[in-house]
Amino acid sequence: MKARLPSYAVLTLLVLFLVGPFFVIVAASFSAGSTLAFPPQGFSFKWVEKVFTVESFQASFALSMFLAIVATFAALVLGVPVSYALSRYRLPLAETVRTIVSSPIIVPGIVVGLALLRYLVVPFGMDITLSLFLAHTALVLPYAVRVVSASLENLRSDIEEAAVLLGSSRIGAFFRVVLPNIRGGILAAFILGFVTSFNQVPVSLFLTGPGVRTLPIDMLGYMERTYDPSVAALSALLAFMSIGIVFIAERFIGFSRYV
Amino acid sequence: MSDHVYLSLEALTLAYGDTVAVDGLDLSIAEGELITLLGPSGCGKTTTMRAVAGLLKPSSGRIMLDGRDVTRLGANKRQVGLVFQSYALFPHLSVYENVAFGLKLKGERGRDLEGHVMEGLKTVGLTQFASRKPAELSGGQQQRVSLARSMVMHPKVLLLDEPLSNLDARLRLEMRTELQRVQRETGVTMIFVTHDQGEALALADRIVLMKGGAVEQIGTPEDLYNRPKSAFVADFVGFENVFAVEDGKLRTADGAVPVSGTVPAGAAALAWRPAMVALGSGPHHGSVRGVSFAGGTREYLLDSSLGPIKAEADAALPVHDLGTTLAFDLPAERAAPLQRYA
Amino acid sequence: MFQNRAEGFALALPAAIFAAVIFIVPVIILLSGGMHVNGHWTLSAYTDFFASSLDRLVLWRTLKLGILVTLVAAIIGYASAFAIVSLSPSSRGRMIGIVVLPLMISPVARTYAWLVILGRTGIVNQALMTVGLTDEPIRLLFSQTAVFVGLLQLFLPLMVISLVSALENMPNDVVPAARVLGANWLQIFFKVILPLTREGLVIGGTLVFVGSVTAYITPAILGGSKVLTLVTLLYQRVTIANDLVSASVIALILIVMSFGTNILLRKIATARNRA
Repeated sequence: MKARLPSYAVLTLLVLFLVGPFFVIVAASFSAGSTLAFPPQGFSFKWVEKVFTVESFQASFALSMFLAIVATFAALVLGVPVSYALSRYRLPLAETVRTIVSSPIIVPGIVVGLALLRYLVVPFGMDITLSLFLAHTALVLPYAVRVVSASLENLRSDIEEAAVLLGSSRIGAFFRVVLPNIRGGILAAFILGFVTSFNQVPVSLFLTGPGVRTLPIDMLGYMERTYDPSVAALSALLAFMSIGIVFIAERFIGFSRYV
Repeated sequence: MSDHVYLSLEALTLAYGDTVAVDGLDLSIAEGELITLLGPSGCGKTTTMRAVAGLLKPSSGRIMLDGRDVTRLGANKRQVGLVFQSYALFPHLSVYENVAFGLKLKGERGRDLEGHVMEGLKTVGLTQFASRKPAELSGGQQQRVSLARSMVMHPKVLLLDEPLSNLDARLRLEMRTELQRVQRETGVTMIFVTHDQGEALALADRIVLMKGGAVEQIGTPEDLYNRPKSAFVADFVGFENVFAVEDGKLRTADGAVPVSGTVPAGAAALAWRPAMVALGSGPHHGSVRGVSFAGGTREYLLDSSLGPIKAEADAALPVHDLGTTLAFDLPAERAAPLQRYA
Repeated sequence: MFQNRAEGFALALPAAIFAAVIFIVPVIILLSGGMHVNGHWTLSAYTDFFASSLDRLVLWRTLKLGILVTLVAAIIGYASAFAIVSLSPSSRGRMIGIVVLPLMISPVARTYAWLVILGRTGIVNQALMTVGLTDEPIRLLFSQTAVFVGLLQLFLPLMVISLVSALENMPNDVVPAARVLGANWLQIFFKVILPLTREGLVIGGTLVFVGSVTAYITPAILGGSKVLTLVTLLYQRVTIANDLVSASVIALILIVMSFGTNILLRKIATARNRA
């Protein structure tokens, strides 16, 4: 098929709708005015600078970063073995196991957050940060399993047998020939998990405490109190961070084919 | 080749749930022998091979290798090499590193390692490809790397799982010759799994023809080719016309039919290759349903009262048109007598 | 396939137990809360929910938004997917990258942009006033339309990606074959392309619908308390009314919608495949 004029028109509108709002935020964040407006009133860096001076933003950014990294790492520690078991062993109840580890993606996040608050945090006096860590790990687990499973399916299992016949132990074979060949998938799962956790709102909504707030929740709270462009500036900065991560990931592992 | 038993399978059985893949298999192999496990898919040949490798655990029975019971020995300690059908090269490692993989696990380092790897690559003529990745090689070259990777380990037995099936016709012949050369030069005991009787006949010292998880017939290629024991073996090696014998007569679609000549004593069935059918004269008639040109000969498929008959005629003779009725005979003295029909 | 079951279970169990303890058990206890009122097992909380006209309105609105967003996403999705697969391989990859990219950007940031666009002093109002269609800013925010647009922008990429991969997996020659047999484009779409890409449509549709009905950020920012959906209603019930029983009822309805859509659409996809 050859691309024709209507195709280009459709694609132009699609890109405008999907990416356009992002340019609007960027423009709004350089406004000199004190309320949100477009086209922006004048040009200044003051809102971008303000983002870095709001203390709660610093704390919540640090918490979100920490959570995203630690929870994704934990999800991979749990998710890689279960993916491996599901793809390489003939297990009874395999589908049940897959449904259980994938269920956090199907149950609405706000329900998860509320359930954890009421039945883990309140009765057991669990630390809020710990509960956030557990919730985010559960949330990232389905993504980790999905992406890692897909890479394992694409890798022939006879190379493990070949390694064993050449004298390697089974565990040794996993680290010597499986892991190096699913590196791309694991990295993609990490990025996808990181982004999912970092941007997560509904699960974290109820899991906040004094001084413990993730960045997106903090932004929502700030927006309710103040109508200035600093949230636009922060949004733009976060968007740039995501674009940077995705761009690098795309360069090295062809990220979009894993999504 | 020595005569004493080097590898033996004793009443080997592998079952999964209700299906029995290999059923009480007995087999003795001498050191340096090249054995082919031949049979259609599902006959248990691959399962048997994987049990010898240690990749599958037998439900019962014993595997003895070089005077030692290895039934419970892990695949990584058996010193058995396996060339996979799909080559199973490690995609992230270079050709050199693939061949070095097992040697490094044995603790080889430095000059020893390099010497052995390069020697292995030299045997298969791939020294100049040492730094390539498997994906940059052709199928035939990958196959050689896989062979070198197993051979540098000096395995007690080298197993080959349909190693030629992914190659094109010309490469297949080349690789077959190469395998024979390696076997001759190293004297390694080889078990070669295939479903292609041509390959088996060309390569093997002995052929083990399998059916339904058990041995149907063991013998030299000549044995199997000329003296099949059962209808199954006969059909597999090209006797395409097989009839059971009852009271000295052939059991056919048309009832009992007398044979021209005398049936050898004890024959449960008689089998004729297409070339053994006497075409042009005889007591039977068939109409031509299909003709195909096969170089020096022409193959005819006849509809006869005995059932479908495959016959062959010199291609220099004039062709018989479809629908023509031809006389033919199935002379008993040309037939191979079979011990069993079923 | 390896035979050793114990080994397989040892690898699979930690994740399964984690998900069950951290996630499934608390959710089940939460759900049972809606049927356990004042020490009795009863469905009164459910009859109360459906008796309340506000609750019914919110449920209906949530469903309506979900269906509308899914339908419009499917239409735009097909148009975009056709355009994308008609591109050369390299620009196709770049285009898919552009479609995937927004998924990686914080939904808070993406929804926030609509505040700027649809606000009193936003682009749309500025444009309308410049052209002279209106003298003073009209209220676009805190309306169903705003929530609809926000959700569509959020979830459209999922539909586009699903349909692109469905179109890519479609056998090459079927469209020319149908063309040669004399089918017009409308017939080709409904008789050839739609059946062959049904699975992609079902996957994309599930993701968009479930995403839309369970979204929090978009209705919270762009709808506010004027345009409540089930999720924002649940949040209010907990934080303002401290009414856990009612919250549990809403939670169950949300889960039924999410699981139900997954199961129903999967059934539709496989049943029609068999026919």
